[in-house]
Amino acid sequence: MGAKPKVAFFDFASCEGCQLQIANLEEEVIGLAELVDIVEFREILTGKAPEYDIAFIEGAITRDVDEKKIKDIRSRSKVLVALGQCAVSGGIPRLKNNNPSLDNVKKMVYGDKYNMPHLDTYPTKAVNEVVKVDLYLPGCPINNKEFLRFVKEISLGIMPKLPNYPVCVECKLKENECLFDLGQICLGPLARAGCDAICPSNGVPCEACRGTVDNPNKNAMHEILEKYNYTVEEIKRKINIFGVDPEVKK
Amino acid sequence: MEVLKISKDDFRSFVQKKIENSDQRTIGVVKKGSHFAYADLESVEDMQMDYNVTMLPPKKYFQPPKEILLKFKPKDASSYVAVNQCDKIALIGVHYYDLASLFLMDKAFSDGERDEHYMKKRENSVMVGMYPTKYFKYRFAKSVLRDQAYKVADIMLVDMGDDYVVEVVSEKGREYIDGGNFVENKYSLLEIDEAKNKIKDDQRIPVPIELIPEYLVKNHGHKVWEDFGNKCFSCGSCVLVCPTCYCFDVSEEVELSLQNGTRVRTWDGCMLEDFAVCGDGHNFRKEKGARFRHRMFRKGKGLPEKFHSFGCVGCGRCAYSCASDIAGPVKILKYMEDNK
Ligand code: SF4
Ligand code: SF4
Ligand code: SF4
Ligand code: SF4
Ligand code: SF4
Repeated sequence: MGAKPKVAFFDFASCEGCQLQIANLEEEVIGLAELVDIVEFREILTGKAPEYDIAFIEGAITRDVDEKKIKDIRSRSKVLVALGQCAVSGGIPRLKNNNPSLDNVKKMVYGDKYNMPHLDTYPTKAVNEVVKVDLYLPGCPINNKEFLRFVKEISLGIMPKLPNYPVCVECKLKENECLFDLGQICLGPLARAGCDAICPSNGVPCEACRGTVDNPNKNAMHEILEKYNYTVEEIKRKINIFGVDPEVKK
Repeated sequence: MEVLKISKDDFRSFVQKKIENSDQRTIGVVKKGSHFAYADLESVEDMQMDYNVTMLPPKKYFQPPKEILLKFKPKDASSYVAVNQCDKIALIGVHYYDLASLFLMDKAFSDGERDEHYMKKRENSVMVGMYPTKYFKYRFAKSVLRDQAYKVADIMLVDMGDDYVVEVVSEKGREYIDGGNFVENKYSLLEIDEAKNKIKDDQRIPVPIELIPEYLVKNHGHKVWEDFGNKCFSCGSCVLVCPTCYCFDVSEEVELSLQNGTRVRTWDGCMLEDFAVCGDGHNFRKEKGARFRHRMFRKGKGLPEKFHSFGCVGCGRCAYSCASDIAGPVKILKYMEDNK
């Protein structure tokens, strides 16, 4: 890439928590600024550049105007990265798709003001349902150390890879008490590691916010949850929070 | 072997003095929630001598989960400097099966090319072992090995109630206890033997261990591999917590500035899906069943053939750590026996 790569950040339907993770980097932000040129970042600066070496997209796509905007960004970006679970899989904004009526969802959330025009959205799409995505940086929110690794590796021309092992690996290395032992249900055995098992390390079960490993053993998880007297519907809902397909091949 | 005794109170004062001695780290077992783990002792108050099992075995001090092997400057090929962080340490209260596991680890890291990173750390350590005083449901250490513990221990403690009987196993152990109130032993051999065997294991390996290598070969096609493999998450818990597993991965990390880099060694394990993926992307053990079988073959055939000792010390950690409850060697062999 020769000179410093131009990096831009854009957000769509999201809580902006992922960009906040980046703004939170503090001293590493300086190192980051030495490595790349940040040309657009609403959390800390605004500007415009005609093209980008790396575009980080936060958030899911829920409106026609978003589709136009993301297609335009895509056409001007060399590497496009889905940043955070909203962008990667639809994340939390996608939960509404589980309800058969989007009007009902709006009424539930906004009460009698549900009809305001800016609330008009279609069923949530992940970024890759609209444009080609080159790299995925999962998590809700993202892990900012992993973000730094991505930037570094892309700048060096290396394709960053995600760990393809479950959160249990990181959890075991931290010598946490397994939450199953404490009578809780944890999706760690299915979930893709890379977050340093931050939830179980704080006593909170993993919900697989980074999606799953390549070949999650959902059958085995169903068996365990059945042992704990969960119904099939409850199991599916639990597994599906972050858009993981809960179906199993029996 | 010299046999002494010390009162428990005197032993605790002895350890407290060791903790205050700053040129050696004193490591013992501490509480972690309702579980136990090895940690640097800040005060003898934290030291637990009455524990069932620790979450990770002592291998974490000799083969750390993440260890820097080298430092380098990415732009200068001649800038490599070896790094080997190895403090003087003493581990207190190590159960005999974990000592036996280090016997195997020592062999693995010194057979052929000597691994300085591991061996230096071992040489800088004093091992104060003991016989367990608490029952652990998954332990089956008695049905496997025990004598190997004495090849690793410097001191062995036997809990006699108010006292410990102190077996001084090595010269290093002899030096270590210098200055403590260790006195002449008054217990009979019979009493000591009884105390050593007080805690019973409920579990036993159902096949004589010297026959396990050929037993496994005969059962290479047994349905257990697929049946249990189907329940496996490939989460690696069973190998990460295992005191005789030593697999690692080596990779390079470069700082954000791109000025400094390190070569690091991290724990890896054959139960993880990508463990046997090679350069061209081919996975030698793509199926869960094949990985499941591989692990048992390592413990039951590979290690015994190489080091003339069963590759599992019966600590029960794997069985306990497995969310699907399939990882324990006793359970695996029982299933094979029941489904001939
Ligand atoms: S992935 Fe989570 S943290 Fe990131 S923007 Fe979406 S909701 Fe917020
Ligand atoms: S707490 Fe969750 S992530 Fe940790 S080991 Fe247990 S199942 Fe795995
Ligand atoms: S532990 Fe699970 S839910 Fe928590 S950050 Fe990691 S993947 Fe997400
Ligand atoms: S702990 Fe159990 S589920 Fe995890 S890899 Fe080992 S056998 Fe499979
Ligand atoms: S295989 Fe299991 S029981 Fe045997 S030493 Fe390893 S963790 Fe302990």
